[in-house]
Amino acid sequence: MSVDDVAAGDAAPPKQVDWRQRLWALRRDLFHTRLDKSQGRLRLIMIGMFAAYAGIGARLVHLGASHEPPPMLKAVADQAASGSRPDLLDRNGEILAKDVKTMSVFAEPRRIIDKDEAVEMITAVLPDVDAKELRARLSSHKGFVWVKRQITEKERQEIFHLGLPGVGFFPENKRVYPNGPLAAHVIGFVDKDNIGIAGMEKYLDQQSLTDPHVEGFAVDPASLKPVQLSLDLRMTHALRDELVQGLARYRAKAAAGAIIDVATGEIVALESLPDFDPNDPGDVKDPTRINRINVGVYEMGSTFKAISIAMALESGKFTLGSHVDARDSLRFGRYTIHDFHATHRVLSVPEVFTHSSNIGTARLAMSVGVSGHQAFLRKMGQLDRLRTELPESAEPLAPKHWSELNTMTIAFGQGLNVAPIQALMAVAALVNGGNLMTPTFLKRTAEEAQAVSHRVVSAQTSESMRYLLRANATHGSAGFANIPGYYVGGKTGTADKIVHGHYTRDRVFTTFMAITPADKPKYLYMVLFDEPQALPEDGGYHTAAHNAGRVTGALIERIEPLVGDAPQSALPERPFPMIARLGYGLDADKVGKE
Amino acid sequence: MWRFMHAMAIGALLSCAAYVYSEKYQTIYAAEQNVKLRHLIAKEQDAITSLRAEYARLTRPDRLQELAAKQLDMQPLALSQIVKADALPIQAPHVDSIGSKLESLGLFGDTATPTAGLTGATPAVR
Repeated sequence: MSVDDVAAGDAAPPKQVDWRQRLWALRRDLFHTRLDKSQGRLRLIMIGMFAAYAGIGARLVHLGASHEPPPMLKAVADQAASGSRPDLLDRNGEILAKDVKTMSVFAEPRRIIDKDEAVEMITAVLPDVDAKELRARLSSHKGFVWVKRQITEKERQEIFHLGLPGVGFFPENKRVYPNGPLAAHVIGFVDKDNIGIAGMEKYLDQQSLTDPHVEGFAVDPASLKPVQLSLDLRMTHALRDELVQGLARYRAKAAAGAIIDVATGEIVALESLPDFDPNDPGDVKDPTRINRINVGVYEMGSTFKAISIAMALESGKFTLGSHVDARDSLRFGRYTIHDFHATHRVLSVPEVFTHSSNIGTARLAMSVGVSGHQAFLRKMGQLDRLRTELPESAEPLAPKHWSELNTMTIAFGQGLNVAPIQALMAVAALVNGGNLMTPTFLKRTAEEAQAVSHRVVSAQTSESMRYLLRANATHGSAGFANIPGYYVGGKTGTADKIVHGHYTRDRVFTTFMAITPADKPKYLYMVLFDEPQALPEDGGYHTAAHNAGRVTGALIERIEPLVGDAPQSALPERPFPMIARLGYGLDADKVGKE
Repeated sequence: MWRFMHAMAIGALLSCAAYVYSEKYQTIYAAEQNVKLRHLIAKEQDAITSLRAEYARLTRPDRLQELAAKQLDMQPLALSQIVKADALPIQAPHVDSIGSKLESLGLFGDTATPTAGLTGATPAVR
């Protein structure tokens, strides 16, 4: 009986058979290689495979061709977070500025479920976050917003325990200045994103040592080498401490000071008061808090006479033995030049310096002439803007029409406003053997400094200047700074300030420059006070010797032992050999008696 | 024979697979340890950095000066206190003051200490 017969005959049982047999046939067909059907099947498999791989390939090409990578939270956070900066160290390796890791709270507004609740809970933990502003930020459609930067560990714990979805933490760098306001004007400060705003911090950014927000360029903190500045932390502290005391004692508007290594041009200490704490710079535009050494321009007063006398000596027209007539006040047109400490006699060149004679200096400058004077000042870097590593600098204020009168007044420090650091640079060159070099705030060796320096005066002129400075400490106005044992040389400068177009004796700008030791100077000190008040205990004087001079004396007494220079019990044997050979005063200490 | 060969092959295959998987899991474990250690190192480095900053903060000169002024009974250094080593006075020869006093009292000879056996103050056995 065939299968067909059964199907045709009975209804119920044959149907069962039919179903079973069909299943059997299907099984047999499935595992039975039928040559007549294999070609079609192979083709079917090939088409299926091809379609699958083509699909995968197309997706790959699509992914590869699309430029926009899908925004990932980490990438966004990396862009927003503050980058690393190199440490700033002082010349002895003490830390001036350093990065520390802190946590910042961020939110992903799209993932926050209940914004009002989130705002309420966050502001409960961080009371200084403005609720209204936070709500506005969380309502935006951005993928990433900061809630608060740089939180404490305790705040982090508390926010973490709130358990808010869409709120997370991201590590950031925070710049800390462990010494507070010390050397703040040199170091500068950074903003919340760790970008330098002022001082050496800005200089570092300009040198592209750090560029935290260049795309695809993450700075590895370990790769950043610390940058060593020329500053000495201890000396800077001593300078600031003495200036703070001086500012209070003389009730001055401002005080500033700097110490330069004359052989290398390194600024080892610089302070300008009032100053700020770089950890919390506050109002950075406040004009009273400028760096008066680099940015302020002032008439330097009698300290400028050092430059004028060096010019006279360098011109060859004068020697230390020359004499200048200072018997009468010097009349020029309708102007008269007086001496503050009038002597009414013919003065030798050293006496012009120790008596700080305006008449004498003006006569010396006049014999050099206007163009010679200008050329010398330009050579000494007094007429052009001095640029150091610090981004802050100032253009000197020179008279537009430079007449003979200008030359006379500028010779004794009136009529030309320069930044104190320019005067510092010039005097350093006058005493270090005659090599002018741009002051630096980075550590450098004497050889490196020599390479960038150039000679401006002869070695003999330089020695004469040291001799004059020493003479002024023993017989002139620099006596308060003549600390025994250090063979100090110095020069005072008291410039009357201009009020309503007239010079006034009541308001002065005082400067003091000192070198130690005068025979082989290492450091040049400069201290200046803006409008110091006369004190009855100082005899009612507000001249430089009584304020800037005293402070410099205290500084020398404090700093020299600090850097390992012990006071010498005896005076140096042959301090000025070249001058001695020429027969002018064997010993500066006797100059007044000659 | 064939059966044995098959058994060997399957055994070898299984042991290979076991070895490969154990290696794989060990590698994963090592990589995880590596990441953990890296995190630990980074954490320690951050801690060192913040401790250095803290140390610098605590030893800043103005704080030390303030502390010294408040806590120490010392005066600022005077320049006269700094002298060279050869400027120091030569040390006087050593004098045995007790000895010379004893000698002047005539007590330099043997002292008449009572013997231990008589008093019994010191232990008898040495």
